[in-house]
Amino acid sequence: MTFLRVIQWVVWKDLISEMRSRETLSSMLFFALIVILVFSFSFAMDQDAAQQLIAGIIWVSFAFTGIIGLGKSFSAELQNDALEYLQMSPTPKGAIYLGKMLGNLLFMLVVEVMLFPLFVLFFNLNIVEEIGLLLLIFLLATLGLSAVGTLFSALTVQIRAREVMLPVLLLPLAIPVMIAAVESTRGALNAQPLTLYFHWIELLTIFDVIFTVVSFWLFELILDS
Amino acid sequence: MMNRIIRRIQRFKGWFGAAAAFCIFYGLYLGLFDSPPDYYQGEVVRIMYVHVPLAHTSLMAYASLFLGSLWYLWKRDPLVDNMCQAAAGLTVIFTALSLITGAIWAKPTWNTWWTWDPKLISFAILLLIASGYLMLRTFVEDPDKEGRYAAVLAIVGGIDLPIIYFSAEWWRSLHQPLSISMRGVSMTGDILLPLSIMSLGLNLLFLYMLMVRTQMLYLTNLLQAKKGRLLSQVHLTQTSS
Amino acid sequence: MTGFYLRWAGVIVMAITMAVLANKNYQEHLASISPEAVLAGEHSHATLRVQGMVGSGSLTGSPEEGHAEFELLGETKHLKVQYQGPPPENLRELKTLILIGRWDSGSQVFQAQDTALVTNYGFVASAYLIAFLVLVASVFSMSRKVTCLFQEIKESKLYEPELETHVEHR
Repeated sequence: MTFLRVIQWVVWKDLISEMRSRETLSSMLFFALIVILVFSFSFAMDQDAAQQLIAGIIWVSFAFTGIIGLGKSFSAELQNDALEYLQMSPTPKGAIYLGKMLGNLLFMLVVEVMLFPLFVLFFNLNIVEEIGLLLLIFLLATLGLSAVGTLFSALTVQIRAREVMLPVLLLPLAIPVMIAAVESTRGALNAQPLTLYFHWIELLTIFDVIFTVVSFWLFELILDS
Repeated sequence: MMNRIIRRIQRFKGWFGAAAAFCIFYGLYLGLFDSPPDYYQGEVVRIMYVHVPLAHTSLMAYASLFLGSLWYLWKRDPLVDNMCQAAAGLTVIFTALSLITGAIWAKPTWNTWWTWDPKLISFAILLLIASGYLMLRTFVEDPDKEGRYAAVLAIVGGIDLPIIYFSAEWWRSLHQPLSISMRGVSMTGDILLPLSIMSLGLNLLFLYMLMVRTQMLYLTNLLQAKKGRLLSQVHLTQTSS
Repeated sequence: MTGFYLRWAGVIVMAITMAVLANKNYQEHLASISPEAVLAGEHSHATLRVQGMVGSGSLTGSPEEGHAEFELLGETKHLKVQYQGPPPENLRELKTLILIGRWDSGSQVFQAQDTALVTNYGFVASAYLIAFLVLVASVFSMSRKVTCLFQEIKESKLYEPELETHVEHR
């Protein structure tokens, strides 16, 4: 059961270092707040426009915040050559991937759960009935983002111009997640019947499964020194 | 000291080039002069004979990048890595050209340069992924890491492309209920023959370009390596004397 | 290097021939003239393509059955047209179209046999030109680079595999 233990330790390590420094979470939160402010100024929305646009705004801000978190996830390992210890450690690399991915997922979800009430507040959304479904959509879409994102975070951290390359590589690949997340969130926020947007949730699930497996296998090639 | 495959390419690539030139000239004749104008679109339909084959070829280019990346991860042959890099460059060229010719075709037929059609979205993203691939390669110093990382990106992108296409198609059916279609273009023999000849010609041209570009990258690396070794030799003779 | 440039000269000659042929074909079969040019007699072919607008209120006969008479408006003058041919899809009043037929200079009537859509050939030409110019330019630059590299490797004597053993000998 070393595999599960490694996952557990990697997640635990990330959580502890985050609890001590609070770097990632606080930078993600502040960035997201700024994004929300910029959006609300640049659109000047009334209630009807908000109904149409809000899902897109939510996911654009979540994705950008997520990229900040993902970028930090491995660049934190550069200090004291921690990355090399991860590379040299005799543990299965897939376990390190899963641990990192779960850590990223956790950070992104925490930020999303903290931000979403602000959206509800600022844009007068009605979410009481669909809250469980919305949380499921958030979980699935964030899992998809962090499945691909963790792989590319580990990849870009070892090259030059890493701050530029992570979004450049990640965002085109994450297009299906973005489309599916925006469409299903809009459906849930507008209280449409579930059958109208259920296929988007299915798409998210399929994407999550495929890319968790693919990244799990490919991660070994990335973290090989 | 040169790779056997590279020498063989040098000997035989001319045949591919000649066959490609023949097919393309014949296809141009068929498409521009021999085929009838379309009932609805008139003469503008002739853009199809260059646009659709270009699109096929860019898919073929990405497919060879994808398969080449798998092959590279399996065998770790640097020549295969050169082939992948060459295929990525060609994917960018062919995808950009098919997007441009598509826009030129869309203007007179759909009265717009660009529309959010699933095929257009997928090709635009394909262009982004292939250019990201080339960018990534310029940012890695170690050649072994460069090949591995690039292969990983190509494989993830290759798996992602069908998903992107399907999600774009669902998305469009939601927001743009079927206002645009290939109306009136029925695939009869008059159209199919120039299309397939041109497609064959451009695919052969792609193979030819792939060979030339692989050669180019391989020789550039070879020259660099040899020059480096020459330098180290100078160093050796200096220290020994 | 000379052989390389000679081969490319061959390709360019072929391309120019193709372009000249295409232009000739365009001038003969596809270029259309205005009604004024027809009236002034500035044409040489037997079959003409005339582009103009169907004059309002001038359309008589039955286009659905394939025969009609109307006036084709140009910028300043207009042309009497007698249409006899397959039922045209786009023959309506105030519609701009291309008529294919013969000019009867005796009766001053244009005998049209067919219609065609007005096409902006710039789109077709630019699509083909952009696609093939870019492809040819990239093939040219790649092949030139390869030829240069072969040359350079040969000239700088980096070719010999013995170099390494040579060093060890000393």
